[in-house]
Amino acid sequence: MKLSEKVQAYLDAINRSKLNAFVSINKNAENDAEKIQRKINSGKAGRLAGYVFSIKDNIAVSGMRLTCASKMLENYVSPYDATVVKRIIAEDGLIIGKTNMDEFACGASGETSYFGPTLNPHDEKRVPGGSSAGSAASVAAGLCDVSLGSDTGGSIRCPSSFCGVFGLKPTYGSVSRYGLVDMAMSLDQIGPITKNVSDAALVLSVINGSDKMDNTVVKRQEDYTKFTRKNIKGMKIGVVEEFFDGCDHNVEKAVRDGIEALKGKGAEIVNASVPKTSIAVPTYYLNMFAEFSSAMQKFDGLKYGFRKNGSDLNDTVAESRSALGEEVKRRILLGTYITMKEFRSKWYSTALKAREAIKHEMLAALKKCDLLTGPTMPFTAFKLGEKIKDPIEMYLSDMLTVSANLSGLPAASIPLNVKGLPVGMQLHANAGEEGKILAAAAAYERATK
Amino acid sequence: MKGVKIGLEIHEQLDTKSKLFCTCPTDYRDAEPNKSICPVCTGQPGSKPFGLNEKALNAAIKIAIALNCKIVADKPVQMRRKHYIYPDLPSGYQRTSESIGVDGNLDSVQIHEVHIEEDPGRFFLREGFVDLNRSGTPLIEITTDPVFDSPQHAREWLEKLASILDYLNVTKKEEGTMRIDANISLNNGNKVEIKNINSFRNVEKALTFEITRQGDLLRRGQTVERETRHFDEKMILTSPSRKKETEEDYRHMPDPDIPPLTIKKYLVDKIRKTLPELPQAKTKRFVKQYKLSGQNAENIVSDPYAADVFEAVVKTIDPVLASNWFVGQLKKTLNYNNMKLRDSKMTEKQLSSLLKLTEKGKITERAAELVLREMVLRPAEPEKVIENLGISDFGDLNTIIKSVVDKNEKAAADYKTGKKEAFEFLVGQVMKITKGSADPEKIRKLLKKRL
Repeated sequence: MKLSEKVQAYLDAINRSKLNAFVSINKNAENDAEKIQRKINSGKAGRLAGYVFSIKDNIAVSGMRLTCASKMLENYVSPYDATVVKRIIAEDGLIIGKTNMDEFACGASGETSYFGPTLNPHDEKRVPGGSSAGSAASVAAGLCDVSLGSDTGGSIRCPSSFCGVFGLKPTYGSVSRYGLVDMAMSLDQIGPITKNVSDAALVLSVINGSDKMDNTVVKRQEDYTKFTRKNIKGMKIGVVEEFFDGCDHNVEKAVRDGIEALKGKGAEIVNASVPKTSIAVPTYYLNMFAEFSSAMQKFDGLKYGFRKNGSDLNDTVAESRSALGEEVKRRILLGTYITMKEFRSKWYSTALKAREAIKHEMLAALKKCDLLTGPTMPFTAFKLGEKIKDPIEMYLSDMLTVSANLSGLPAASIPLNVKGLPVGMQLHANAGEEGKILAAAAAYERATK
Repeated sequence: MKGVKIGLEIHEQLDTKSKLFCTCPTDYRDAEPNKSICPVCTGQPGSKPFGLNEKALNAAIKIAIALNCKIVADKPVQMRRKHYIYPDLPSGYQRTSESIGVDGNLDSVQIHEVHIEEDPGRFFLREGFVDLNRSGTPLIEITTDPVFDSPQHAREWLEKLASILDYLNVTKKEEGTMRIDANISLNNGNKVEIKNINSFRNVEKALTFEITRQGDLLRRGQTVERETRHFDEKMILTSPSRKKETEEDYRHMPDPDIPPLTIKKYLVDKIRKTLPELPQAKTKRFVKQYKLSGQNAENIVSDPYAADVFEAVVKTIDPVLASNWFVGQLKKTLNYNNMKLRDSKMTEKQLSSLLKLTEKGKITERAAELVLREMVLRPAEPEKVIENLGISDFGDLNTIIKSVVDKNEKAAADYKTGKKEAFEFLVGQVMKITKGSADPEKIRKLLKKRL
């Protein structure tokens, strides 16, 4: 099939879809397809030629809206490309549109978007998971080939688990964040959401590596495609018992079966422990609130975005910020509170210390094995509206995903071979060892085909 | 002054080609508003700071060394975010580094610390207009301990500091780039901070006003409020800023986008070696080597360019004579034209030639000054200037006097018979020819001799 036919088919499918997975569609998609097709015909195409991408709407694509699913940026058009977008285009990947998400990535269900919730392709009464809700839903529903999401505390892995697709959060500092709207700068990382492991390996190979526009990325670009064919015989996989605490029975069973499948491929299964998993959620939220409140300072209505004039400068800023949704405001307020002079030593400083303690435990556990595993989410996709009224309940859904971000480690959610609602198995590796995750995930894929 | 405690915080732009965290040019003065900008320095959603401009860091280290600071080397220095909301601050926070140097000293004034930060853009309140060309320009901030005991002391010290910065040649040369915050307390009372003063003279004026204002309050038994004030240049008074500023909490936090940097000891040593001879040392040398008065030496040395020219000139001219010219007529002429020596295209050779003429008595001091005034603005060889000004024929005053006496034999004879008016007539004739540029005393002396 020609690329333009494929793009047309996707555009039609997006049009018909009721999932609300997209916020904007690339109006030049057909032209782009023809351009890339000519390159394919002349044998000069890049390694992503033929791939159709959706991009989470907190990643800048020049000339397209960058809304973060917020009223604040409803009409903001990005004047530049994110580094990852530049790299995808340079390799002839085609961007079909920007995907819906929790507003400013604040949410684990895909429900806080100003443009309305995204629905789960497996059951439209259920949430797709968040915050990269539209990215996972668009891949799972066949509205594109692959997607880029962002992950601050599980925002790639949670919707991947709920939608039954593969999602990888790379090592902190391996993929440039230039062009990713900040949520929590020391935790954010862009990564691929795909139908299969080899697509993720290819996308990661293109987007990873140093960028002078993001200081935190220092490693050289690496090719990951070779890892998907690697044998996992003798690979030590640690099963973290704390990751199963309070987890639904069907999820536990599916994950234990998945671990058996890896064993069948020659992996050595060992016990592992990360007791501080119990404090992961408060540690994550306090760190994230603090950084988020700083990141959101720029949305003051004075330069771009929503503006409502008030009686003076402060009033104008306050009026303009009323465009932000409830969850976003809650996080800004809490982040501001815990970084104020009077309260910071009690809250923010403590959270920084707790973060170090969790990182220490994760690294210690990974000294004894190649990968750590357990469920990605303690449950399958819940119903729309089920948790949205209770922020604490919603925050607790992140219990198993936040430790990877707090530790800067790579982690992926692998869709398990189950009947009914999708279940994800999570794999963590040491910094820079995405290859091991890809190898194990690919081995699982082969075992269950 | 008794009981007066003044501390200063000096901000000056570093002279780098590009901004602190992006590659936009810093010569915003010549640019159209909002042209020297990019996603980074305008705080577009998703943009991140690029790597710290190393030239700015090196410049800051150089300044800190020159101010005798201990450099914070071989341990991480963090960039921090200082949060506040204002139209000229696109990210809602200003990036500012932890201290680069601490515990310095200049002329018995303790330097608390030195660090770098970003300049915000410019907000034109009345027009409701923001220009972000300046946003992200690297600044050095120098903070002193509260050790000045008078406004005059503060101003004099600032002039010394400016001279050192001039010598280091790493800060912007344009006028008005330096901004000063001054804090002042009387009799250990509450501290008042006067923000954003744009000249040394205004620092002195603002502080003088504050001493009177605070003194009056104390005399009446009232307390001085701890607050931030602004200096009104036209009214010559300070007035309170928005109340909020004093209570503001900037919620400083490390910037996660910029990994902490470590200044290597060897870099500090390397930069230390590039330090030029600084004003204090140079003044001492001038006094010793050229036998100048301390005052003249300090005066000449305060401008590095002038000091260099001076050293070139004294290769052929008597240093003491030259120094008198430098602090006298030359300075006067430059001040009159609101210039510094480096602004004039006059060459060292032209200046030397002129001084040579006066040294040899070829022209009078008064004439030389006239020539100098012209040369500063329209440089040329002094002989040429003398000719152009039409004062070439008084080059040798004796010749003129001789011709006047020869032409006016009667007057000369009258003088010899005791007529005083005749003498004055002859002086007048000489003055007329020299267009008033000759020294009347000298004329009298020479005329008497001839007659």
